[in-house]
Amino acid sequence: MIQQAIMRDRIMQLLIRWVFVVLPTVVIGYITLRFINFSYTAFTEGIPVQTLYFAAGLLLAYSLYFFRARWIVTFAGLWLAYWIAERIIVKLPGEFDVFYATAKFQLYSALFLFGWLFGFLLVRVKYSYIILFGVLAVTTLVAISNTIDISLTYMLLHLVPVVVYGLYMLFLSPLLTETLEMDLKKSGRLLLRFSLFLILVVLAFVFVERIFKKDLQAVEKELAARGAKENKEGSEKMDGEYDERFGLMEKRPDGKDDGYRLKDTMKINSKMSQSDRLMFCSKLNNYFPDGNPKPLYFVYHYLTKYDPVRETFIRDVAVPFFDEFNADPSELAMYHAKEDSSVIRNSLAKKKRVVVEAEVYLASSTWKHSLLAPASAFYCQTIPVEKDFQKTFISAYKIKSYASELNNAYFVYNPSSNPMLEAYQEERFEELRNVNGYRNVDSTFYSYYTELPSGPLYDSISKLSYTLTKNVTRPVDKVIAVRDHFLQRDEDGKRIFRYTLKPGGVDDPNIPNASMLDNFLFKTHAGYCTYYAGASLLMLRALGIPSRFTTGFATINRSDKNKGWYWFYASQAHAWTQVYFPGYGWLDFDMTIGNEEQQGAPRPDGTPPLPPPQPWLVLNAKAVSAPDLKRKRLDVSFTNIIYFDEAYQLNKSFERPIDASICRILYDKKDTTLSAIQPGDSVIVVSYKDEAKVILPPRRGVPIESQVAAFPVPIIADEIHIKPKEKTKKEDAVTKKNTTKEENGMTWQEILMLAGKITGTMILLIFLLPLFYLIYLTLRSRFTTNPKSKADSVYRSALYQFHMAGVERTNETPLDYARTKIDPVFHAGFEQFMHIYLRLKYGVGTFLPGDTDTISRFAGGFGPAVRKTKGFFTLAMNYFNILLASRYFTQSEKNEQENQLPL
Amino acid sequence: MTDNPLTSSHSAKLLTLSQNIEKIIRGKPQEIKYVVTALLARGHILLEDNPGAGKTVLAKTLALSISEGADGINHATGGGVAFKRIQFTPDLLPMDLIGSYIFDEEKKDFVFKKGPLFTHVLLADEINRASPKVQSALLECMAENQISAGDTTFQLDKFFFTIATQNPIEMEGTYPLPAAQLDRFFMKITFGYVTEEVELDIYNNYLKIGDVKNSVKQVLTYNDVINLQQEAENVYLHQEIVKSIVKLVQGTRHHQDIALGCSTRGGIIFIKCLKAWALVNQRTYVIEDDIRALAQPVLHHRLIFRNREASRVALQQLVDIEVNRLAKLGINSKA
Repeated sequence: MIQQAIMRDRIMQLLIRWVFVVLPTVVIGYITLRFINFSYTAFTEGIPVQTLYFAAGLLLAYSLYFFRARWIVTFAGLWLAYWIAERIIVKLPGEFDVFYATAKFQLYSALFLFGWLFGFLLVRVKYSYIILFGVLAVTTLVAISNTIDISLTYMLLHLVPVVVYGLYMLFLSPLLTETLEMDLKKSGRLLLRFSLFLILVVLAFVFVERIFKKDLQAVEKELAARGAKENKEGSEKMDGEYDERFGLMEKRPDGKDDGYRLKDTMKINSKMSQSDRLMFCSKLNNYFPDGNPKPLYFVYHYLTKYDPVRETFIRDVAVPFFDEFNADPSELAMYHAKEDSSVIRNSLAKKKRVVVEAEVYLASSTWKHSLLAPASAFYCQTIPVEKDFQKTFISAYKIKSYASELNNAYFVYNPSSNPMLEAYQEERFEELRNVNGYRNVDSTFYSYYTELPSGPLYDSISKLSYTLTKNVTRPVDKVIAVRDHFLQRDEDGKRIFRYTLKPGGVDDPNIPNASMLDNFLFKTHAGYCTYYAGASLLMLRALGIPSRFTTGFATINRSDKNKGWYWFYASQAHAWTQVYFPGYGWLDFDMTIGNEEQQGAPRPDGTPPLPPPQPWLVLNAKAVSAPDLKRKRLDVSFTNIIYFDEAYQLNKSFERPIDASICRILYDKKDTTLSAIQPGDSVIVVSYKDEAKVILPPRRGVPIESQVAAFPVPIIADEIHIKPKEKTKKEDAVTKKNTTKEENGMTWQEILMLAGKITGTMILLIFLLPLFYLIYLTLRSRFTTNPKSKADSVYRSALYQFHMAGVERTNETPLDYARTKIDPVFHAGFEQFMHIYLRLKYGVGTFLPGDTDTISRFAGGFGPAVRKTKGFFTLAMNYFNILLASRYFTQSEKNEQENQLPL
Repeated sequence: MTDNPLTSSHSAKLLTLSQNIEKIIRGKPQEIKYVVTALLARGHILLEDNPGAGKTVLAKTLALSISEGADGINHATGGGVAFKRIQFTPDLLPMDLIGSYIFDEEKKDFVFKKGPLFTHVLLADEINRASPKVQSALLECMAENQISAGDTTFQLDKFFFTIATQNPIEMEGTYPLPAAQLDRFFMKITFGYVTEEVELDIYNNYLKIGDVKNSVKQVLTYNDVINLQQEAENVYLHQEIVKSIVKLVQGTRHHQDIALGCSTRGGIIFIKCLKAWALVNQRTYVIEDDIRALAQPVLHHRLIFRNREASRVALQQLVDIEVNRLAKLGINSKA
């Protein structure tokens, strides 16, 4: 009978725990699984089914271990069951896809095991909920971080369930260790207490939010910018064509990392080539003498070094005469420029050199950090995009770069059917025949650009190239011979080499390696641009001709409607070879043959963006005060200006009011309002040349400072660009040094760090609350002068400190508490004090001689007494025990429900 | 008034009284205090326990401590007080208590022969064994301090203290006291058994203990008791304590597990007892501990609970709430 009763009670307890522990855990498991499903596609069944497996494991384990099952036995049993089940599945007859079945089985057994482990931990390990909380939080964070459309709110909202679960378990756990006797009323109270606790957390959050407000706003701004951007991308992604392309130019070509990075190299495959997505457009000021536009290929990267391990070309840092312009337009403030004269020096071109100017309008945000320029760029200036075109183009910059007169897109291309262009081409070859060889070339340079390992693979290529060029001596003829090899036809007049997007059926996005190229040259004869460029590069280097692999965009002049404007679609992504000719520098040679079988429908050009208005003045300024929103004024100070396209550094700082009444305010290229400007913000103030304004043209011979002093007051601004905070800039600079991954403003790591910091501070604050209260009480008792109030504050302080020392007053009156619980332990004379205190409290309230002494003796003595008895460390740890502290404040509630003692 | 009006003589007297009783009743200091409290509050007390727990002895000891002997009625002189003991039986009649008119041969008239009720300390043993008629006769005296016989009303002395005892075990021919009559008793206390050591001590000294009459000395006079009763009324009662009493009384009326709550008379009695209790504990002010200590003996028997569990817990819960409320109050919070 008794056995039965105990059993029934035990089962009741289990049922209660199912409701209070297992159910919430299943719910949180479901939520977490939902997040995981958003990010990963490993699961095939629906989320409820997954949860079912998880819940089954959890419930079974929880119930088993609740009835004190041995863990070794159960785990061994579990493993055995798994093993047998797996055997059976593998042996299943035919129509079952064994692989699929096994994978599915393993997946779900993993889920089951997870549930099992959770159940085990919950029953057996005392503070297991901390582990669970950690696991869930990490999982959720990882799942969230994989989401594209991310915002602070999104992140917080998704973390909330986990946090709530953690707090819930934290709250519940002390009840779980004892016998948890629940009825409706008590669970209601529990709910109330839990919500009170939550309110406390929310308050702490609000507090933290106030502290970190500035940082948070920065994050918000950043996220808003990002979110909008990524939304745009997301919607375009819906076309479903080539999501992989976004990685294409993610990283800046700063060359700081010599490792092989997939995303650095041009991923040119069928998807890319078939895409008709607009990448950018450009106005290129390069014309033939007769006024016809003279297009140039736009370079993105050079791949210079041959990596024998991967058998392919990679980017390199230690390049002799490195002429890649290291600039990130997104880092430049509006209208500001960067110039690198070393590029001019390193371009090694003296003859036929021209400076070409171009405006580049980027259509996709992935190009933000990249500089696309014809040949060797050396100057870059950011310019705004005219308002009506901002939907199409996200940013723009002006570049100046070096080009050779000999170089143009018509030349580099294979012989076309156009006889006029072929004549041009022949003219170019004639000019280059002046180059006899590379005798006077810098030896480091020469050996670097002709480096090629030896081996049977390369020997066969080298043999082929020597065979092809046995009749010619000049480098240019050798290059032509290589080109002609690709153009040769068989007896039937059909080309031997074909252009195909699927060489060998493998759709490999990378630069083909040497074996693939060998295969291409001698067997398949089919490939696309990277195959042609890679193969010709190997051949040219074998012949001792300095050459490099170039990725970028082929330029196509489609119509004469907008002369000088070129449109670049994803399908124009290209790879070709640059060959070095002493005196002329690097010249483009494109060996890729045309696709005879398929001709893509020519894409029409778009409408070129209107040129942005010309500014007469650009101030690189700092907001001195908060903007005057009523009068639309802003006070700024500045020392750097651009005045009629000329940059000046002033010898003193000027302070001027800005009239922002007709002004656009932008933050990270997104429109915002004047109120977004905070004192201390760095801003770029732009004022256009405009009939309505009083503009003083620059006067020669007059010091710039006095010209600035004569500027009209206020300066009427047309655009104000808010720069991200200095701090983030600095952090950026640090990351720039260490890593190559950079982004404007804050990176995800920084945002996560900030989120972590905030959470940490919040938790710390919550855990410090008991200590704060102690400090408050101590200070109060120390500084109260009125003897009665002093007695009172000493009383409170003592009650709190004794409580925090671990001796809790449960149902006793304070006097009983002092007599039965405190004094036997601490010998602090609390009872004596209590007698006086109670007399003062409930009596008429006159002091007797000696009262004040007793009070102050107790006030000074009980702290040390507690410390002596409990030990400083234990005591200090107690103050971090938020549960203990919360019991002090919720005492009466507890008494109400927990008093089961007979009188 | 100061906080310490308790003169040394008063406190000494109270101490000697307690000590005097403790000589006989071993291991029950709390119960002794309760009885003294009821005495000082000008109330009556009901002792309930199994036979042989020492109820009668306690009552006798108390009476002897403040009287010269069973019949020494000499209160005008400030000597001891009178003590009477009535054993209640089912066949007891009211006139056995009150007294009756008998014919005086000499005066040729009916004269009233006073019954045992005309005393100062009355021990009403096994009160629940008497018929309701008798019980109500006794209770009238307790409440009104007067006795009605025929058309005459006799005023009792202002010092009239009843110690009633009853057995909890239902026996044949018992008449349980109704709630209205229980209400008249200021306190109802149970004795319970003593601890092992105390019991050992009792057995070792049973001879001495048994001889109550000789071993108990009179330590208080009639006047002393009257003075102490006066003193108890002067005990200071803080407004917050009054508030707590109100809340406690109201709480019993609204508690879901209590069918019949405490009456206002109950509240007044509670206050009287609190004051007396404070005095017994050598204090001139009431503290929250007093509420905790007295709630059970003063209030519990006035309430009717819906179930056994509630009878055990409900009052305690209400007291806990008030004690915690008071414990958290600041020193200067006077209403």
